Amino acid sequence: MVARMGILRLSHVDITVPDLDLAAAYYTGVLGLLESERTDDRIFFKCWDEEDHHSLAVRYDPRVGIDRFSFKVEDEEDLEELETKVEEYGFRVHRVSRGEEVGQGASIRFETPSGHEMELVHDVEKVGGLLGKFNPGAIPVGMQGIAPPRMDHLLINAEEVGVATRFYMDVLGFRLTEQLIGSDGHQIGTWLERSHTPHDIAVVNGPNGALHHFAYWLDDWDHVRQAADILAYNSIQIDVGPTRHGVTRGNTIYFFDPMGTRNEVFTGGYRPDPDFPTITWTEDNIGRAVFYYEGEVNERFIKVHT
Amino acid sequence: MGVLRLSHAEVRVPDLELATAYYTEVVGLIETARENERVFLKCWDEHQHHSLVLNYAPTYGLDVVGWKLEAQEDLDEFTARIEAAGFACKRYAKGELGGGSGETVRFTGPSGHVNDLVWGMEQVGNLLPLHNPPPEPQGLVGIHPARIDHIFLMCEDVDGVTEFYRNVLDFRLTEQIVADDGYQLVTFLERTNSPHDLAFVTGPNQGFHHVAFWVDDWNQLRVAADICAYHGVRIDAGPTRHGATRGWGLYFFDPAGNRNEVYTGGYWADPDREPITWTEAEMGRAVFYYEGVVDQRFLTVHS
Repeated sequence: MVARMGILRLSHVDITVPDLDLAAAYYTGVLGLLESERTDDRIFFKCWDEEDHHSLAVRYDPRVGIDRFSFKVEDEEDLEELETKVEEYGFRVHRVSRGEEVGQGASIRFETPSGHEMELVHDVEKVGGLLGKFNPGAIPVGMQGIAPPRMDHLLINAEEVGVATRFYMDVLGFRLTEQLIGSDGHQIGTWLERSHTPHDIAVVNGPNGALHHFAYWLDDWDHVRQAADILAYNSIQIDVGPTRHGVTRGNTIYFFDPMGTRNEVFTGGYRPDPDFPTITWTEDNIGRAVFYYEGEVNERFIKVHT
Repeated sequence: MGVLRLSHAEVRVPDLELATAYYTEVVGLIETARENERVFLKCWDEHQHHSLVLNYAPTYGLDVVGWKLEAQEDLDEFTARIEAAGFACKRYAKGELGGGSGETVRFTGPSGHVNDLVWGMEQVGNLLPLHNPPPEPQGLVGIHPARIDHIFLMCEDVDGVTEFYRNVLDFRLTEQIVADDGYQLVTFLERTNSPHDLAFVTGPNQGFHHVAFWVDDWNQLRVAADICAYHGVRIDAGPTRHGATRGWGLYFFDPAGNRNEVYTGGYWADPDREPITWTEAEMGRAVFYYEGVVDQRFLTVHS
């Protein structure tokens, strides 16, 4: 065919936590992820329906933060092609060889204009989903916690949202589904996709290098309600929701892991074709854009990041 | 880049007014155009001109299945591939096939179904503004699914037809039901990283099993069943769960006898996801997971 396929979807998010045991207890017991591997200072988690080695990695560090986020490319050849494009754009690319990183083969890493370390990878170790490939059941029975089937997207902060967004679009082939425009005409928030969903990554105004949240997919609004029950039962601090987004049209809850990283559970949305016309939100509608039912955004949601 | 997704289906109906009333008021599609003996319909959230065309005919069944291409160059690429596989292609200019149609390559595949590969269908927009839109329009009638989802066809040689769609059109196999004699009874194929955009079940060539529309969740299937029952529309099966695809479905018939489905759920399928295999002994659970048996009507009735 005429062009390479490029980025397929979000692969994994690597964060830092000050307490590995607490992180493991929360991400398995409350969120309902599966621990797939543990090293001296890192734990790797996956969702039950994910076949790849991990979608979340936590590393011990006294400070809560994000090490990097990683996207999966469709072909091995995409790595070389995208490496060239990133270098032509003026960013140095660091190659990670097979055997250097847990659970995956060769990858490339580089710093983006928003000050985040980004990784692209194709060869991820397959550990399989929980259902198997032979007359499988529809769900695994006996899962703990929320038990989302897979990771969905992440939202990062950037001082210059417009500049960061151009990089993801022009260099990495992301498509802009929605944007929030400030009264001065600049982009305050952008939502970008590769997987024909409303977003795989979003960028909102804030300090460079910061993580706003990462999100897990749930089947439907009823599963979102159950998630709220599980969070409340476990005394997890809910940030916002259950509610609806104007942007992406999804239904959601935001909450914090015990160390302060914001998590989201998300469902709904729509299926944008590559020729989907971008939706624009104006700053005077920011409340409905972010929280459609409430019509306003609380300070914590805007200010807190890791 | 290849086939993006299912674009549309053209179905035959012997009573255009009755069928139009059903598809707009019960299913809740939107009429976008009408030509001599043809009615064009779309779902509310679709931007393109149509996803369902009703063609007047003294019988029922499927006239055409349409696939949306990602790039204009795909038209030439696929023409070469399809002709190399031994099937003749005919090219149509934008608009030549009527109502909003794009540039099209038409061919009759090994299952006897007429396929249109389409690039550049007229865009009419969904029902929401592009500035500060609400999540959904108010006042829609009927089930009003958001979009078309997949199509289920019949053919005599499921193995051979499946190979054609995989090799020539780059569809990927997600699941299969394999008979005790080793042949494929049913195959599920995708281009959208979903469990299926296209499926084939053993039956007569050119047979049309159903076309499915996407709804948001299981609760919408309950509402859909209420709407079907209220209007006296005959429900074939469901609401229930599929073992294959893991989705939830409700099947019912349009007034001409073409089967419709509303569908939700499923999973994300990476391109390198290993296919799932169901055995003939487990076919009941594969098709209707809760019931565990497939009734004869579901297997044999088609249009």
